[in-house]
Amino acid sequence: MNDPRHDHEPEAMKKLLKTAVSPIKDAEPRRDLWPQMLRRLEAAPSRVPWWDWALLAGTVAAVFLFPSVLPALLFHL
Amino acid sequence: MNKHVYLRAYLAGIAIPTIFLLFVMTGYILLRYSLHFPVPIERVIVFPMALVPNLWGLWNIAFVAWRDKLHLHIGLFGMLLPILLAPLGFLVVSLLDFAIPHAFLSILPVLAPVALAVYYLAWKYLVNGLNAILGIA
Repeated sequence: MNDPRHDHEPEAMKKLLKTAVSPIKDAEPRRDLWPQMLRRLEAAPSRVPWWDWALLAGTVAAVFLFPSVLPALLFHL
Repeated sequence: MNKHVYLRAYLAGIAIPTIFLLFVMTGYILLRYSLHFPVPIERVIVFPMALVPNLWGLWNIAFVAWRDKLHLHIGLFGMLLPILLAPLGFLVVSLLDFAIPHAFLSILPVLAPVALAVYYLAWKYLVNGLNAILGIA
């Protein structure tokens, strides 16, 4: 089971890997990213502007007033 | 996360009409076969089933590819899609000898702004939301 020929294999593999993969340089980010992350988390969620609400209301009103637009609209969605 | 940007754009674009189609198709099938709706919609169903979702996907790819050059908001870019879709839909319907109801032609002045508004809102909030989830917004 314990073949002495295989005892050196892990070491040889380590060496091989070290020669194949170059060491990572500048692994750390250039600046601290945590404050930016906190700002994003604390930022208020994006709000829907009033003109989009107006557009939605107008669209719903138009569909209620002219229900025959609905099949044609659904056909193009 | 910069890999396969156009594939992600296509998937984000195609998702909304594909989900929506499920509900629309259910409604149409119920109308047609349960309530005997007299319009044979199955003759032209290829347009909303195949063309429209794929065009949404391709349109989102076009948006992602050209957004730096165009400087156009996604809502406005999406609003341009019905301008392409409407004549295509009309062409498909004409090629398949589908009789367009007269009521449809009379509501065109209402349909056009409603379609533009729906597309603007859908692209601004739904497609853009999916683009953000997939990291391409």
